[in-house]
Amino acid sequence: MRNPWTAVIAAGILFVGLYPVFSDDLYYQNMIMLSMVFAIGAVGLNVITGYAGYVSLGQGAFLALGAYTAGILSTDVGGNPFVWLPAAGALGALVAAALGVVAMRARGTAFVILTIAFLFLLQVTATNWDSLTNGTGGISLPLPTWSVDYQNWPFYYSFMALLAVSLLMSWWIRRSKFGMGLIAIREDEDKAATVGVNTPVYKILGFVASAVFVSMAGAVYGYYIGFIDPAGMFNILLSVQIILSLLLGGRATLWGPVLGAFIVEPLNEISNNEFGGGNARLLIFGGLLALVVLFMPRGIIPTVQHWLRVLRARGKAGLVGERLDARIELRERAAPQPATPSSDGRPLLEVKGLEKRFGGLRAVDGASFAVPEGSITALIGPNGSGKTTAFNLIDGTMTANAGEVWFDGRRIDRLRPWRRAHLGIGRSFQITRLFREMTVLENVVAPLPSFRLRQLSAGAMSGQEGERAGELLDFVGMRKYADAPASALSFGQQKLVELAQVLMLDPKLIMLDEPAGGINPTLIERIGEMVRELNAQGKTFLIVEHNMPFVLGLCRPVLVLARGKTIARGAPEEIQRDPKVLDAYLGEDFRLEEPVGV
Amino acid sequence: MTEFIQTLILGLLIGGVYALLASGLTLIFGVMRVINIAHGALLILAAFLTYSLWTATGIDPLAAIVITTPVMLAFGWLLYQASVGRIRTAPVGASVLLTFGLALVFEGVMGLIWGNTSHSVRPAYFNESFEIGQVFLPKAQVYGGALAVVVLGGLYATLNHTWLGRAIRASAVNPQGAELVGVKVGAVAAMTFAIGVASVGAGGSIVSVLYPFLPGSHYQWIARLLGIIVLGGMGSLPGAAIGALALGVAETMTVTYISPAWATAVPYIFVIIVLLVRPQGLLGSRLREDVATA
Repeated sequence: MRNPWTAVIAAGILFVGLYPVFSDDLYYQNMIMLSMVFAIGAVGLNVITGYAGYVSLGQGAFLALGAYTAGILSTDVGGNPFVWLPAAGALGALVAAALGVVAMRARGTAFVILTIAFLFLLQVTATNWDSLTNGTGGISLPLPTWSVDYQNWPFYYSFMALLAVSLLMSWWIRRSKFGMGLIAIREDEDKAATVGVNTPVYKILGFVASAVFVSMAGAVYGYYIGFIDPAGMFNILLSVQIILSLLLGGRATLWGPVLGAFIVEPLNEISNNEFGGGNARLLIFGGLLALVVLFMPRGIIPTVQHWLRVLRARGKAGLVGERLDARIELRERAAPQPATPSSDGRPLLEVKGLEKRFGGLRAVDGASFAVPEGSITALIGPNGSGKTTAFNLIDGTMTANAGEVWFDGRRIDRLRPWRRAHLGIGRSFQITRLFREMTVLENVVAPLPSFRLRQLSAGAMSGQEGERAGELLDFVGMRKYADAPASALSFGQQKLVELAQVLMLDPKLIMLDEPAGGINPTLIERIGEMVRELNAQGKTFLIVEHNMPFVLGLCRPVLVLARGKTIARGAPEEIQRDPKVLDAYLGEDFRLEEPVGV
Repeated sequence: MTEFIQTLILGLLIGGVYALLASGLTLIFGVMRVINIAHGALLILAAFLTYSLWTATGIDPLAAIVITTPVMLAFGWLLYQASVGRIRTAPVGASVLLTFGLALVFEGVMGLIWGNTSHSVRPAYFNESFEIGQVFLPKAQVYGGALAVVVLGGLYATLNHTWLGRAIRASAVNPQGAELVGVKVGAVAAMTFAIGVASVGAGGSIVSVLYPFLPGSHYQWIARLLGIIVLGGMGSLPGAAIGALALGVAETMTVTYISPAWATAVPYIFVIIVLLVRPQGLLGSRLREDVATA
């Protein structure tokens, strides 16, 4: 399948590259050039919308920004607009970064609104700031200085070069840690933060990457059309056409945006020339946008790929639903004894007077407890007692209203989630949260144990990381699912992969939120076994769980939380008899039938 | 001082109209996490309907809400069934793009039917004013604002005192839970969408008297309404009302004391400031995301 595609792409590049040499038909040259402008916009947009999942309707604004930069500088300062190309790119990047800072705390919905507001705000500014932009009068750019023999070649090949650079960037991002982080953000942003992805930096850089080349293309575009004004340049229809190109061709693919652009732009010409533009253009593009969202949300390339996969996979059984490997029994090592840290052991994690209020509800209300280093500590308590909220406060998914969290001798309650992950806290979720559209292996490789800017450009998966991920998948018995998409796994399998994912961070403290919840007894035993083995290797655990045989057989000490407060702490034997615990949680008739669940 | 009081009252009056328009938008978002970008276009559509009714029959444009509201209610319901309802569970981005596409289609259709020129509806009292002391209040503004508040009151009463209202609120808070206790969330979502569109049906009639409009006006309107619901907190009805009043006052103040040209920028500046300072808006709540979806 690879070769025919490569041939098609090569033929396309060759055709576009040589077209002006063989044909002096200005109509089609114009069409190809504008298609390339759309393509540059869509390839850029793909970074933030396709990879990171943030829909932006402001892409056209960067084109306009670039055009205005070149227009204003070349008329006020002088020089050929081409000279100002870097300035246009730099300004676009700067504005995108500023906008990224504003959007840092905004999720999907607010981000879309922000991009619309941004576009319109620039338009109002360009309209009203007469002294700079000449308002509605617009700006006429200098005429091209080269010989007419060259027609529009300088424009044409500038666009082509910018498109090539954009594609190269897109390709590189997809293969780097940066791209992996962006996709993790698209799939589950909070989760991405807990596995060490510095989400704001990723989002801001993603936004900058999506804006820089389209801003430069804007400078060339302004020069090419010769006249720019607010109504034309900031027309939101342009942004719509760019995003339509991306959707139609296929989000998060390399060539999808290009394919889409080369369909949408010619359609634009047709609607202008055959149907008189205006209302017809609105009907065609509005209708097409609605239809694509409704009936082909994935776009052409992914849809075609999907069909091809279906054709090839016909008659082959899937991996999912197979029995689990029984390999844990093959381990020929005496099960390590439950860790019995002395109660005066150094606390790895210490929580003091932690409080979290949701409106009037105090989910965590002054909880204080410590997790001794090297222990498997349990956190039990009735539903709604604040266990998961305590987890969220410890790993930074939420910020506490009061209280302190100390980890490994450092106060961490003001740190962002990824910083805490880098310090050595890993956590799983009650309802598993894998990056659904990534493969199992990618899921395991996605966590980042540290953050350096340089790391962004590293390959998505180094050989070493691949090996380590493989070992971890071996450890949890999920290696043969390495290439399966995470969304295809059963709940229990997802728990195992999530455990491997957490281990990739090489955390000191592993927090498991109901590891035994909703999975079958065999798997519960296996998870208990793994916890012990990891503990023997030096990992400290904090486990929230309702399965009492599991907890009491595995954990020591046991902390009991009720109404947001710690009401008891002690060895399992003591906890079982503690009247306060029996009253608040276990119930007076509690009797452990079997000694241990493992 | 008089100028200030007059500006303030006019701001509050127009804010009342904004509140009605934004309520529909925030209600739809609250129940189905859909940002209906076509809201502005539907508003202009209702304004054009009012215009046609007024020119054809001479009916008072403000009285026309008894026709435009049910018509838009029905249209909203059909629109939901044909389009938005199909992607109710898709990510937010999908619904934004879908409704944006619909907005463009409506703009095109309106352009074909009524033309792309500015229209306005001018009933007999258009140039008359109430005079209280030295404060002049145009009758159209006063009637429009008052009517908007009445309709909004009706909407609140529906939401708070009817079974449908309770079902809508239940679906907004917890769709799965509502489904489990026998609320047909899909049907409720359709009704919510229809009610949201009906609110711009009434609002469109009022707007037709207060502002000149053309098919392309919908961008300005949706931007304004988005600014309001971001400020108030997405999905919060009281938030939308407060945000609407704040924007109404801020806009009229900008017109009076800065320049009319920059008044259009006010909602965009609102959006940016809110996202910087308090992303969840004035009355919005942050969603608990770790257990929200199973």
